[in-house]
Amino acid sequence: MRLNKHWWSLLPDLVRREIRSRLVNATSGWLWLVVTPLLLLAVYGFVFGVIFQARVPEGLEMPFVAWLAVALWPWLAFSEGVLRGSQAILQHASLISKVAIPRQLLVVSAQSAVFLLHLIGYMVVLVALQLLGIDISWQGLPLALLVLATFYGFGLGLGLGLAALQVYLRDLEQILPTFMMFWFFMTPILYAPELLTDTLAAVLVFNPATWWIEEVRATLLHGKWLPDGMLLVLALAAAASVWLGSLLFARLSPCFEDFL
Amino acid sequence: MSEALLSLRGVGKRYPVTTSAAGRWRSFWEVLLRGQSGQGTVVLEDVNFSIRPGESLGVIGANGAGKSTLLKIITGVLSASSGVIERQGSSAALLELGAGFDPEYSGLENLHMNAAFLGLDRKQVAERLDDILAFADIGDSIHEPVKHYSSGMVVRLGFAVVASVRPDLLITDEILAVGDESFQKKCIRWIETYLAEGGTLLMVSHNMYQVQKLCRQALWLEGGKARAQGDVFDVTQAYLAWHERRSASEVARSSERLSADLYSVAELRVDGDDTGEPRLAMGDELVVRLRLRSPDGRAPVVLVGLVRADGTPVYGVASDHDEFELHASAEDEFCATLRFPDLSLLPGGYVVRGHAMDPEGLRVHDTVETSFTVTGRSRELGLVRLPHRWSSE
Repeated sequence: MRLNKHWWSLLPDLVRREIRSRLVNATSGWLWLVVTPLLLLAVYGFVFGVIFQARVPEGLEMPFVAWLAVALWPWLAFSEGVLRGSQAILQHASLISKVAIPRQLLVVSAQSAVFLLHLIGYMVVLVALQLLGIDISWQGLPLALLVLATFYGFGLGLGLGLAALQVYLRDLEQILPTFMMFWFFMTPILYAPELLTDTLAAVLVFNPATWWIEEVRATLLHGKWLPDGMLLVLALAAAASVWLGSLLFARLSPCFEDFL
Repeated sequence: MSEALLSLRGVGKRYPVTTSAAGRWRSFWEVLLRGQSGQGTVVLEDVNFSIRPGESLGVIGANGAGKSTLLKIITGVLSASSGVIERQGSSAALLELGAGFDPEYSGLENLHMNAAFLGLDRKQVAERLDDILAFADIGDSIHEPVKHYSSGMVVRLGFAVVASVRPDLLITDEILAVGDESFQKKCIRWIETYLAEGGTLLMVSHNMYQVQKLCRQALWLEGGKARAQGDVFDVTQAYLAWHERRSASEVARSSERLSADLYSVAELRVDGDDTGEPRLAMGDELVVRLRLRSPDGRAPVVLVGLVRADGTPVYGVASDHDEFELHASAEDEFCATLRFPDLSLLPGGYVVRGHAMDPEGLRVHDTVETSFTVTGRSRELGLVRLPHRWSSE
């Protein structure tokens, strides 16, 4: 099924539906958009500020939780997006076997919905941190959003590829959450890369998620606001991911119905 | 002739092996490397047809003949393993119950989504909303989640949305069987109007009456292949005859064969084409030719019976009823020819049975049967056309 203009115009509807389905059963649904991130922020603040008494890397004056939150939400958006996206085809099996819609749309909408929700949460958290007196470099926000957009693209490519693979190889469903958890710890979100030994730090360079996390911190915590070569690199990585993911998806999707 | 809305050339479908993990793994690599999997079960083979605007095609066949698979391929839900499918214009499909409805959402939301799937934008849906709701006629339930709907309500809503779209090609499955009588009538009326206004229909149904009523062409699938296609009356009658015969052969196998050591039927023949089973049109003359053997040279009595292919008796007559005496054609051999001019049997499959009886006409000694088909374009019901006359007295 080819994606034409009509099908793309369906995307907002599908995303809206996706978002509503996550909030619809809660009585005050839309309120949770604001409350959940704040609660999560409070939990992290308690665990890392009070129990672990973690410290931010040198050169920054802020509580650990602020330093963590700036990187955590992009990661949440990315990892949950990839997981949701990769399940989208299996989840909508009944729809796929009855209505001829381009299947990519289901992955894209699932992932976009997650990303949007976390983006809203991210903004809420950033504002909350500012209100708590933490210095967020707002001039870096436009660049940060661009970086996040490429992160979304990177995740989308992964999601498309994994969603297609998962139809055939159901074991992925079991492996992926654990793998994402491992990836989380392999990415300098809870710790600064400087804390690692040289050998491990060298490995981190090959973890693409590191590029984005570092870049987001650079914009919002260190005030980087001019796009440079790094943004280009990220954009290229995202494009490559989307291209490969779509390629795999296009190859595997004609036979989805046979395997669902 | 305008261009075909839909044309299939050599379309086939093979379901890959997905039951075992190893089978899945192998199929996966085949799909990845070659674009399709090699092994598997063949469910459709070499199906060819095309539908031009204004035509109507009914797809019939026994369970498991590949009808649903064919529809899924046509709608694009399933991809064909081989062959070419060309589509023009818009099409809308009503496949199975609640196709594309999400049970968690309200009817209204599903309506919007479904309309969007069918190609309507928001504005168009808003314009047609009242019509859709009126057609579906499910009242305030439209705000309830679809999971609380009865199956009839789901079909009502689904049909109402499709009706509002007025596609160039309408594709329907066995769905009309679900709604209640009045809604079914409403749907049939809508389809008839739609057809009269130049719409194109492709439907799958087990209801031959419905197929004959709504379609002008038919395609009979058996074991994934087209067994017959063409005029709806020819195909549906052949299909029904085949069905009747299938169930009759099960009965015949169990019944005992009568002894033929005395009077016996040597030959029973119905005039017609030499090749294959005789086919007669309604109103033709049915000619049954018999050759009987008699061990003692006395003329046996012959009884000829006509039964519907499923075994329902239609008519039977013996030579002694009419005081007709058989004459010997050779030593111990007697011939008889029975003619039914202006055949009033309704189209369908029939069997003619010839029984050899003793000269007293008391005992049946042998039975032989042969089948034939009556063709015609008639929607009358029953077995025979009785002479009749309408008037408005």
